[in-house]
Amino acid sequence: MSEIANNEIMNETAVEEQLPADAFEFAEFDEKESEHIAAPRYSYWGSVWKTFIRNKFTVGLAIFIIILVAFAIIQPMFSGYDPMIAPYINDSSHKFQSPSLKYLFGTDNVGNSVFDAVFAGARNSIIISFVCTAINMLIGIPVGALWGFSKKLDKYMIEIYNVISNVPFLLLAMILSYVLGSGYLPLIFTMTCTDWIYVAYFIRTQVMIIRDREYNLASKCLGTPTWTMITKNILPYLISVIMTYVSREIPALISYEVFLSYMGLGLSAKYASLGKLISQYTSFMTGYPHLFWIPVGILACISISLYVVGQRLADAADPRTHM
Amino acid sequence: MKKGYIWKRLLRSFLSVFIIMIIVFIMLYSLVPRDNIFFEDATYKKLGGKPDDKREYVMRTWEKLGYLDYETLNDFCAAKYEQGSAEMEAAMENGSKEYYEFIDTFEKKGYTVEYLQLSKKPYAFKDVPLVQRLAKWVSHLLVIDTPWSVQDPNNPDLKRYIKLGTTPTGGLALIGSGTTHKYLIYTDTRFPFLHQNIITLNLGTSYPKFEGMQVLDVIFQSQGTEVKREVTFETGVTQESAINFGSLTYKPTLDRLDQAKFVDHYANYTTNKEQSSMIGTSFIMGIFALILAYGIGLPAGLAMAKNKDGIVDKIGMFYIIFIIAVPSLAYIYLFRYLGTRLFNLPSAFPIKGAGDVRSWILPIISLSLPSISSLMLWTRRYVVDQTNSDYVKFAKAKGLNQKEIFWNHIFKNAIIPIVHGIPSSLAGTITGAIITEAIYSVGGMGKMLPDSIKQYNNTMVVALTFMFATISVLSVLMGDIVLTWVDPRISLSEKEGRS
Repeated sequence: MSEIANNEIMNETAVEEQLPADAFEFAEFDEKESEHIAAPRYSYWGSVWKTFIRNKFTVGLAIFIIILVAFAIIQPMFSGYDPMIAPYINDSSHKFQSPSLKYLFGTDNVGNSVFDAVFAGARNSIIISFVCTAINMLIGIPVGALWGFSKKLDKYMIEIYNVISNVPFLLLAMILSYVLGSGYLPLIFTMTCTDWIYVAYFIRTQVMIIRDREYNLASKCLGTPTWTMITKNILPYLISVIMTYVSREIPALISYEVFLSYMGLGLSAKYASLGKLISQYTSFMTGYPHLFWIPVGILACISISLYVVGQRLADAADPRTHM
Repeated sequence: MKKGYIWKRLLRSFLSVFIIMIIVFIMLYSLVPRDNIFFEDATYKKLGGKPDDKREYVMRTWEKLGYLDYETLNDFCAAKYEQGSAEMEAAMENGSKEYYEFIDTFEKKGYTVEYLQLSKKPYAFKDVPLVQRLAKWVSHLLVIDTPWSVQDPNNPDLKRYIKLGTTPTGGLALIGSGTTHKYLIYTDTRFPFLHQNIITLNLGTSYPKFEGMQVLDVIFQSQGTEVKREVTFETGVTQESAINFGSLTYKPTLDRLDQAKFVDHYANYTTNKEQSSMIGTSFIMGIFALILAYGIGLPAGLAMAKNKDGIVDKIGMFYIIFIIAVPSLAYIYLFRYLGTRLFNLPSAFPIKGAGDVRSWILPIISLSLPSISSLMLWTRRYVVDQTNSDYVKFAKAKGLNQKEIFWNHIFKNAIIPIVHGIPSSLAGTITGAIITEAIYSVGGMGKMLPDSIKQYNNTMVVALTFMFATISVLSVLMGDIVLTWVDPRISLSEKEGRS
């Protein structure tokens, strides 16, 4: 500390000494007040938010993704794009046009605007992957947490996992498409009916790793009920891991939909989807590369923004970064 | 860990494999509409104008696929009379004695009797109950070869013995006679050098693709063109042949060529071909991709976590995001384009063939790309999480140096969940990679299951599911055991451990 600062402190003490004794008053003794420990007010979600908005780049991406999703939901309402209708199918000059002002992304093999097709597809793909992720997480996390925590349950759940994860998925998807048809809800059902078990299995392993840690043993000795232990001791530890999983899950589900469309088990012909566009345009990759790379690029934009935002949220969700 | 726990869990694992098989049987034989089989069947389409032949074809195919038992008047009469005789002709007439006998017999047995549209000939069929089909499948699963396996009425003098001897290529062998296989145990120069034919898995015959072949032969047999070399047979004949002596099995009727080469009835054989089998190809590709993935992904993830928010972290993040965001179809094409343009590597597997190392490079790299990215991602996540934990701060406060903290504390804890996945990834290599193998036209396992499902090759689907399920169930168990090795705090069994 510098000399000047030392002098200032000296001066302050000097001022205090000059105060007369009658300037002070005795305070009432308040037992409650004396027990109170002064600390800055801490709200978990508030801190998460504060940490999250600290990085301007991610905030920008978050705004970008909101605009993109809003655009994907609103644009198809005005464009009136329908994959079943191809008004220019007999006009060969209208097919395979390069991007221009009239058709921002050019036209495809039946003369439809790729711009309209991509956003109509993006809307369905986004809705499907969001809903599927939500369902998978809502079922997978509680089941996985209980499963990892209880050794008794583990005995049965591990066999259920073995059974569900080993029945050939394609066969199941095929049967479901016979039984339920191919639409929005059937696809969501197909993509979630077995997928939650993988989330649960992932959570189970994570829970198992911290279940036997010392602080949990101590907590158990003190008589904490199981559910409280899971929600208060274990799950908060896993928030960052879960967020990482979620931010991977959404792009993965879109890819999954691409794969299902590739196998002919995706949405029926009257719905557009990014997956269908990509698998449909793959054959034009060498001749008309823009047809293939534009849907891939849009998909990449959505996935990347979601992923980066998700990772940032994962970091922000960790209370140790709040200091 | 207690041995008892592992045994019990092993037992339960096999129970779940059994349940998987029940579910697959129900799905294949009850839930998939039977008529779908004929969607892409050329023969079926050709028979469009002939309702009788069509019905006959449909029933025969269903019987072959194991849906039902099918009986015709022709079969019924042929069992009684000689084919083409006058009695046979008479019996085949509508309204004959046998005609009513046929209807009567099978209606009593619980069959449904129907009549062909034009000729009005009766035929009977009965659905094979699921339980019976499953029981049959299970009871035929393991085949043990004994000297009494072959029962050939045309060859009553067949000797029945097992003795020690050598194969024509000079390997030591246990030779059987009366057994299905000639060489029960033999050694040769192919991996794994010691082979046995005593206990074999019988998973059924493939249909409609690879018709008549054993499922396991389809998967395990070498592919491509035959590799011929000078071979001296037991009769002393020397000729160019690709014969694999170990595969010799009993052949009831020998032709002249067989008699020139073989001294006994063991004349059925498979040939050696230049490429490895489907399962072998996928396995080799998968193992190298796995080594590459752990060799690059793990150190890269560690480096990223060490330089969190640094330049290495940013580059790594860019790669991870790229792989996650772009569908595999797109980046495999991209890497293939780069590989062929910049390094002049073959763009498809068959161009240079399996013998050339260069044809393996691009498929293996393509296969390892997603694994590298997910390993990097998770290693980074776990290490970063550990770095922030209190015991690390404590270790730092106590004055341990960075290296000590990183390797003895952070690394040891972060690696636990990574190790858990290794057995599963190993098992995953044999199932093959659907998209990578399709793009590079590699003859591997990836296409087998989807193709079989699409072609309604029921035996193949059942067999593959059984194989994959067994391996994956065991690898899940293995993963848990490995988990307790790397972290002794974790206990799996209920009674053991501290909690």
